[in-house]
Amino acid sequence: MKLKKYVTLTRAGIIESLQFRMSFLIMVIGNLLYLTVTYFLWKAIYASVDTDVVNGMTFTDTLIYLVLATALNGFLEMYLVWDIGRSIQSGKIVLDLLKPMPYRRYLFWSYSGSFATQFLFTFLPTFIIVSVVTHGAIPLGINLLWFVLSVVLAIVINYSIDFIIGTVCLYTESIWGINIMKQVVILLLSGATIPLAFFPDGLRTVVSYLPFQAIYNAPLSLLLHADPDMQTVCTTLGLQAFWAFALTLISTAFWNRSLRQITVNGG
Amino acid sequence: MKQKGFGFYFRIYLKILAQDLKSKMSYRADFIISTIGMICTNIAGFISFWILFRRFPSINGWGYYEILFLYGFSLVSLTPVQCFFDNNWSLRQYVYSGDFIKYCFRPINLFFYFQSEVFDVKGLGQLAFGLGTLIFAWVKLGLGCSVLMILKMIVFLLTASLIMISLQNAAAATCFWIQNSFYVMDFVNRFRDYAKYPVTIFNKGFRFIFTFIMPIAFIAYYPSLVILRPDAVPLLSWISPLIGILFFFLSYKFWMFGALKYSGTGS
Amino acid sequence: MEPIIEIKNVVKEFKVLNRHEGLKGSIRDLFSRDYKIVRAVDNISMQIGQGEIVGYLGPNGAGKSTTIKMMTGVLEPTSGEILVGGNVPYRNRTKNAQEIGVVFGQRSQLWWALPLIESFKILKDIYQIPDADYDAMLNFYQSLVDIEPLLHKPVRQMSLGQRTLSDILAAFLHNPKIVFLDEPTIGLDVSMKAKIRTLIHALNEQKHTTVILTTHDMGDVDALCRRIVIIDKGKMLYDNDISHLKQFFGSYRTLKIRIKGDLKQYAEEITGKLPECSVSADDEWVSILVDESKSTVMHVLDKLQKDYKIRDMQLEEISTEEVIKKIYEEGVK
Repeated sequence: MKLKKYVTLTRAGIIESLQFRMSFLIMVIGNLLYLTVTYFLWKAIYASVDTDVVNGMTFTDTLIYLVLATALNGFLEMYLVWDIGRSIQSGKIVLDLLKPMPYRRYLFWSYSGSFATQFLFTFLPTFIIVSVVTHGAIPLGINLLWFVLSVVLAIVINYSIDFIIGTVCLYTESIWGINIMKQVVILLLSGATIPLAFFPDGLRTVVSYLPFQAIYNAPLSLLLHADPDMQTVCTTLGLQAFWAFALTLISTAFWNRSLRQITVNGG
Repeated sequence: MKQKGFGFYFRIYLKILAQDLKSKMSYRADFIISTIGMICTNIAGFISFWILFRRFPSINGWGYYEILFLYGFSLVSLTPVQCFFDNNWSLRQYVYSGDFIKYCFRPINLFFYFQSEVFDVKGLGQLAFGLGTLIFAWVKLGLGCSVLMILKMIVFLLTASLIMISLQNAAAATCFWIQNSFYVMDFVNRFRDYAKYPVTIFNKGFRFIFTFIMPIAFIAYYPSLVILRPDAVPLLSWISPLIGILFFFLSYKFWMFGALKYSGTGS
Repeated sequence: MEPIIEIKNVVKEFKVLNRHEGLKGSIRDLFSRDYKIVRAVDNISMQIGQGEIVGYLGPNGAGKSTTIKMMTGVLEPTSGEILVGGNVPYRNRTKNAQEIGVVFGQRSQLWWALPLIESFKILKDIYQIPDADYDAMLNFYQSLVDIEPLLHKPVRQMSLGQRTLSDILAAFLHNPKIVFLDEPTIGLDVSMKAKIRTLIHALNEQKHTTVILTTHDMGDVDALCRRIVIIDKGKMLYDNDISHLKQFFGSYRTLKIRIKGDLKQYAEEITGKLPECSVSADDEWVSILVDESKSTVMHVLDKLQKDYKIRDMQLEEISTEEVIKKIYEEGVK
């Protein structure tokens, strides 16, 4: 069974993340509090303009968008760059390279466990709460399927970007600096902090050609449209698939190349 | 044994600081990358701010430049915690690995010894950004300039810094009980972002929480009132320096209590 | 002799969560309040005099580190009394810290990025060491080991051996009354071990520093300790001179002989002839463990020579390692 060795990693990840039970509780409570705070902030923001709709988004739209973006961020941000960077610096990387599977894949499946726990314990409750609080403002139909597909692609894209940045750690010791740059660029350009709809037109066009919007903006806009036309769905998912594929190739190639260079020169 | 007073600790801190800076200068690449990362973070912050206020001219009766003032204020008051207390971020790793014990064997204050180990130069970049923003907003608001006002400014910036430091100390110290305190620190960090908005946007319950339990309202809002709304300064603003000192003292006690209770894992 | 460390009926208990296995168990643990009390140190008493080097031994998890943490003031005992240099370590942690030095295994306490000499200078301030004492100590160090190449090297660039050496020097720098060394030679090569043992020995001799040494390397014990204390599962098993220990078990000696033919078969035969001895065989030797309180090696050899043509023989004294192993396994009767 080839799949089995990967599923084992997923299971170990789940068990590990449950070990820290207090942190876990805090994570869940923290998220709920954060949601409430976001609610108040945007309510105040919307209250200070005369119209109900800004940039084609109502208060409810914006709230759902931002809350779910935060929840997505909870399981997309996995501190991969830190992990890679640290294991390179401590030399632990050598042990991981000896595992009977490619490093990139090994790490991905090790993280899949925390994807699962995060999804179940933070994203799902958030989703349900938002759904209830907004009295069913989230359409529940075929869009859910597109959303799930889109999230899976977003995970792959985000993982690849993280892995590329993590590979950079083979060349420099400055994990903090590199990671923070990645983080702010992604959070801003993906529409995680402010919906892309609010961006000025020029900037929005540029951003739509970058891979970052495929992480948060793509799945969330698919989710928020009850009955999107097939063309939009295909374009969004197609673009995501393209980025997922391209970034997977790039990250794998970059890692292999860097590793060869390092092993030849002695690390 | 001579009495170990303020002078004693000050001399030791300077000595460690000088050595630390010297050794940091030898990692120039790391220094440059971290600085760029810091600049990116701030620029991204400004861009988000700009995008938001392009569409919404005011929040809850607070105008563009007033909010910008709060923003700059929170950046400046963040500097001390960034510069002097950054080792808090590593605390959980020291505790988790058992290496924290190495701090327990010296005949000096444990808290001081731990924090003195790291001085983060990047914080100075933040200071520059914050000061720039603050002065810009100050001029645009036509606040005028007097010795008294600058004096007030300094006192209240220090107050805000004390609150920031207290929050971080308390959050970091939770790792003495719950192992992986990263979530707590991340949580506090995320809430800190809300410090730059007026606390009046929240309902009564949250206003109470942000004033007395998780006092982020003291980071920018209450102190800024003294400068921005001199006609209607609530009592809380005037006593905020005392509250800052009180919270710092409590967080220090909490930190020390945790550290002394700490038993050291393994070996 | 006035004792510098006094430990009386000390007990230390920890509360730990009972963890369950597997995925289901992990989920159950999330809500579990199922704690158990573990007694890491169980009623230990001892007195240690100024200038002694005491080997503090025990298998992994015996409670050695816990005892040391209590003596250094990091842990508070659950019950019992500890006095270190007249202080109660837990209550006067900083005062106690001034009087002791600690080296904890592979955990360096030096400033990672700084050259050793800069760490020394900071320590000089922290411990408020007078200039004259500080200079004298550095000169003394120089006479023991060649510290010059170490002084200007950042700790992070040092080899493990150099780092351990530096840590030991740093621990003795303020001329403490007591130094705790927790596995100082772990992971080091043979020559570095020898160097470190010589250093510790010299420092103890010259400065009359009390040294408490935990180790798993009996070479350390043989080279340094006159007295050893053994604990296991938190209980004290032995506290006496090392020579006494050897006497205690030393009545055993192992006689090894080589005979032509099937050794296993000979071993069985000999067992029949010498019921008071335990006999075993490997590919080369037949080993006979002789209890000299019952019989003598000469007597056994005499007996065997009558029946067999002995081609070669060896006589082995029991080593410290074997004695300790015996105690860990069987305890002291």
